[in-house]
Amino acid sequence: MSLLPRSLEERRLPLGGWSYLNSSQTSVEATSLAAMALSSEASDASGSGIEQLLRLQRRDGGWPAFLGDSEGSWTTALALCALNEMTDFAGAREKAFHWLIAERGREGHWFWRWKFKTADRNVQFDPDKYGWPWISGSASWVVPTAFSIIAIKQFTVCNRSEASEKRIHLGVEMLLDRACVDGGWNSGNSVVYGVPLRPHVEATAIALLALQDERRTEMIQKSLSWLRQNAAIVDSVSSLAWCILSLFVYQEPIGGLKNRLATIVGDGRDIRNNATLATALLALKCGEMIHPFVVLR
Amino acid sequence: MKLDRRRFLGSSVGVAAATGVTAEWVWPKHSVSYRRPHSAVAVLNVDEYSERIEALLLDGLRLFRLPVMGRSILLKPNLVEDLPGPVNTNSALIGAAARCFLRLGAVRVVIGEGPGHQRDTELVVQAAGLKPHLAERQIEFVDLNRDELRKVKLKANYSGLGELWLPSAVLESDFVVSMPKVKTHHWAGVTLSLKNMFGIVPGMKYGWPKNLLHWSGIHESILDICATVPIHFVIADGITAMEGNGPLQGSARQLGKIVLADDPVAADATCARLMGFDPLRVRHLSEGGHFLGNLREDRIRMLAEEVGAPTRPFSVLPEFRYLLAVKS
Repeated sequence: MSLLPRSLEERRLPLGGWSYLNSSQTSVEATSLAAMALSSEASDASGSGIEQLLRLQRRDGGWPAFLGDSEGSWTTALALCALNEMTDFAGAREKAFHWLIAERGREGHWFWRWKFKTADRNVQFDPDKYGWPWISGSASWVVPTAFSIIAIKQFTVCNRSEASEKRIHLGVEMLLDRACVDGGWNSGNSVVYGVPLRPHVEATAIALLALQDERRTEMIQKSLSWLRQNAAIVDSVSSLAWCILSLFVYQEPIGGLKNRLATIVGDGRDIRNNATLATALLALKCGEMIHPFVVLR
Repeated sequence: MKLDRRRFLGSSVGVAAATGVTAEWVWPKHSVSYRRPHSAVAVLNVDEYSERIEALLLDGLRLFRLPVMGRSILLKPNLVEDLPGPVNTNSALIGAAARCFLRLGAVRVVIGEGPGHQRDTELVVQAAGLKPHLAERQIEFVDLNRDELRKVKLKANYSGLGELWLPSAVLESDFVVSMPKVKTHHWAGVTLSLKNMFGIVPGMKYGWPKNLLHWSGIHESILDICATVPIHFVIADGITAMEGNGPLQGSARQLGKIVLADDPVAADATCARLMGFDPLRVRHLSEGGHFLGNLREDRIRMLAEEVGAPTRPFSVLPEFRYLLAVKS
């Protein structure tokens, strides 16, 4: 495992962040995850990643998806999670929090809620329950909503206003509304043209992370059970790593999964995506360092 | 002059039509045209995915005398989800295509895809059975959802998007081959070589799925993307196709065809006819026929088998019954 942090550090860009693949274009997702993954290492790599994140933050508090982009995006929640691990940067975190509170899926507008309720019924969901989009101007989806809920819960753990409580509640309601029939989450909706969609491992793991401190409803239990079963068979690095990170916060046994991930990584699987490499490192260190997506009650 | 209701309506329609024509002339919807006098299509009969595909495909490709010698090829298959059934372009066909282009003199073949729903691209590549083909020399896979991006001004203006961030791997390739799975689609009617290009739009910027394209209009976005990134060749996987509630939850339909074409509109029009649909009723095809390629049968030269009507048209959701061709 000691090779993984070094490998991730070596892929750091001269400006301090990380790209996804072999390019010079800093990715906010890859940089946020890498900064989290290397935070317990002795080197300055994590710090330089955080500095690059701070440079990339927009005036309005949001983050673009990558260096060169000018629009705020879903990665704002991940960047806030990375900064939430630090005690500093209160101003940057405050601005990010306000950006997230203001951002909403397109169903957040009364006109689209009305359209989804009356004219557009092929996709079954309750448009009154909305969360966060990948990019402004589109609908709410599971992964950006889950990351936003985690970031806001972490940021407001000591001082939660009515507005943030309301937004968290609405996001949680949206996730529960979009859950697949037998548990778990697809990318967004659960039923299209009357046919139930199959859950995705990664989306389910991330949605469960967002619901870790919520009442264990039947749907959460079913989803947890689905994730447990699928974690045992999934063979891709990213999905397995997210399973470990999620199952850990539900006090599920993860030793066997960590061993399997270590074997896959040790077998020389070519992990070109730095976000995946960082997530794998976080999963392998799970239980040995502060979990970056844990929500304190 | 006395203006009665009929004259008023007639004048109004005339003014509206003239305004439309003028608007199209003053603000044209597209700044490029890839349409040539004639396009070439070959329909190959192939019953199953086997090692024989490569030889058949090579013979088929040689009919076109493709300018691929010394060039870098991007194969853009349709890899959407890690689901069973005919959801993804078959890996045997993708691998065969990659090897054929190398045998025809290409210096490099990149298989590029940005899956639309599943964020874990490795999972999709594994499930599609593509990994063994990537072990070969000069064949590489690029995750288009996470490749380096460049902002590109769109060369058509149907969606109103104006510009998109697109992957370098796509923009730097010399020759783009769209390799769709022949399927029905519950929002667009069909998903063929033109709709397949949604996969070049990066998830890291636009999300999973690329929902902004849906909000901007699926047909409109298809036209804008394909005007901006021209498709040089099409290899459509219609051996086992999908009908009904495609592109993910439909039923397998044994069509037994691979469609090759040097024009994406001609390819998709041919596939639509093989499915029992009238291509003129697919909005992005009827509009694309004005500038992206040839839709009319008399402009499509068949190099191999002629297109016969299917014994039974592909089943569609009730909303898409209008696609069915009327029997003459």
